[in-house]
Amino acid sequence: METPRKFTTTPGTRDVLPPESTRLLDVQAKILERFRMHGFREVITPSLEYSEVVEEPKMRDASFKLFDPDNQMLLLRPEMTTPIARLVAQRLSNSPPPHKLSYSLPVYRRASVGRGQSAEFHQAGVEVVGSRSPGEDAGTIALLVDTLESVGLRDFVVVLGQTAFYEGYLKRVAPEAAPELLAALAAKDLVRVDEISETLPAGARGVREIARLVGAAKDGSILEAATGYAEGEAAGALNNLEEILAHLDACGRLGSVMLDLGLIGRHNYYTGAVYEVYAAGLGFTVANGGRYDNLLRRFGEALPATGFAISLERLLSVLPHEAPSPVLVLIGDTVEATRIAGDLRSSDVPVLHLAEDLTPEAAARYAKSVDASWVCYPAPDGLKLARPDGEFVLVAADEVARRVLG
Amino acid sequence: MSGLRIAVPKGAIFDDALAALAEAGLPVEVLRDNGRRLFYRTEETEFIVSRPSDVPVFVEHGAADVGIVGKDVLEEQRPNVMELMDLGTGACRMILAAPGEEAEEVRRAVSHAEVVRVATKFPNTARRYFESLGRQVEIIELHGSVELAPLVGLSDCIVDLAATGSTLRENDLVVLDEISFSTARLIANRGAYRLNHSEVAALARAMQGCQRG
Repeated sequence: METPRKFTTTPGTRDVLPPESTRLLDVQAKILERFRMHGFREVITPSLEYSEVVEEPKMRDASFKLFDPDNQMLLLRPEMTTPIARLVAQRLSNSPPPHKLSYSLPVYRRASVGRGQSAEFHQAGVEVVGSRSPGEDAGTIALLVDTLESVGLRDFVVVLGQTAFYEGYLKRVAPEAAPELLAALAAKDLVRVDEISETLPAGARGVREIARLVGAAKDGSILEAATGYAEGEAAGALNNLEEILAHLDACGRLGSVMLDLGLIGRHNYYTGAVYEVYAAGLGFTVANGGRYDNLLRRFGEALPATGFAISLERLLSVLPHEAPSPVLVLIGDTVEATRIAGDLRSSDVPVLHLAEDLTPEAAARYAKSVDASWVCYPAPDGLKLARPDGEFVLVAADEVARRVLG
Repeated sequence: MSGLRIAVPKGAIFDDALAALAEAGLPVEVLRDNGRRLFYRTEETEFIVSRPSDVPVFVEHGAADVGIVGKDVLEEQRPNVMELMDLGTGACRMILAAPGEEAEEVRRAVSHAEVVRVATKFPNTARRYFESLGRQVEIIELHGSVELAPLVGLSDCIVDLAATGSTLRENDLVVLDEISFSTARLIANRGAYRLNHSEVAALARAMQGCQRG
């Protein structure tokens, strides 16, 4: 006789069960509600996209690929920014910009397994497409801080850089070395940056020094030091950063921000403000974002854009666990029990009705397995109510609601 | 330098790493007891001791704030960490080598784009090196005593780290090419680099100061 095949989930993926699934869905709902509060409207794009939509080699390499019946290569979306760029260009060209769009959807990457993420994970984020204004950059950063605080994240920092500042400085002071320097900074290799800067003339001190400008945004010394390198395009970029900070200050969000002028984000991607959120207790970013004015021209609409994405699984790993909402397990296969279940639910008591005959011990075991905090049996003159493994007390039906809901 | 957790590699770089940290004023004496402990907590600093190839894993995940590790390991794994400083110690070379008698044959085979078999602890480094030459190779991944492989016919040549070169000589292996140069580096977790910036920067400055002085 054949042994039955044991099924597992594919490498890097897993089933998500309660209470983890409940926490994920609750956090997602709260996040989308904050986005709505700031006027963002949700979109849902297909999980499958033509592979040409994603151009960045690293991102494309990390994608799951498949072929459609016409032998076109498709991939499972590895992120949401490019699909939304495609959506804006294809569907929204008749609406006035800026388009303020939000999402919370799963994305898929092959290579992240073993580096703190599964092959399938959830991103929630926003994009503002069609505005260059630093007010919009600040608005998205403020929304990010607001959202993270509203789901209960306390100990975190938004690390903010300005890609155009370093790029502008290099253009003026070390244009030939610029590509290599930017590649080194994108790879976070400050040793290579220092090595190259040593081959440059003395006037290019900023090549090394700008990457060292890290500090609290409220502390004026970082910006003061940066002013020393602000000529030409770098001056405009620094102004842009200062305006963003002024907007953040105006809505009381400056305290959550640290400046790092050596942060330029993914290679050749961000064109202005760029930011990463780090939370205490996690070595990876919880959220990433920035301005990417060069992306949409690929799709035929050369619109500026800025936005961020929150990684929900990483966020959950640093959020305090909330107590689960109370659930009552009602035992009984009688019609009376069904009626009681309905009545209790009308009083807003979450009821899991087991239309079975179970002993109190079995009922307690079942209740614990589904994280239910109450066990209940119909009785001739009321309801018998207990904690799992606790003593039963006879109470009137309306008293049950009071006790369960607190 | 208070409040940081520092990952220190066992093996060749251990002593140099401790010396650099000691010069920078850190209480490393506790690590010199040669015990089997892997986690040390002093008043202000914590130390963990791990295999060199694991140091970037601890640092990337934030289980350590900073770490000391060879550039060869960073090149091989390409971890998502900040590379802050070259400590200048632990110098060694990544080399391509073959047994003396076969050296010319291997050289000829590679230049004729024949597929050779390479044993190595550094499969990514080896693959990238040969790709840069436009050559395909068969890579056999070993975790130690790589010099053994060509001597027993497991491979035609090896890609390995050499410091003094004495191990190569002792096994009658000849260097065919120098792939890269490696020294010990100070790396930091991206979050710790910013959240603990003053401590990390102070550590880097203190270690740099000792280098120059």
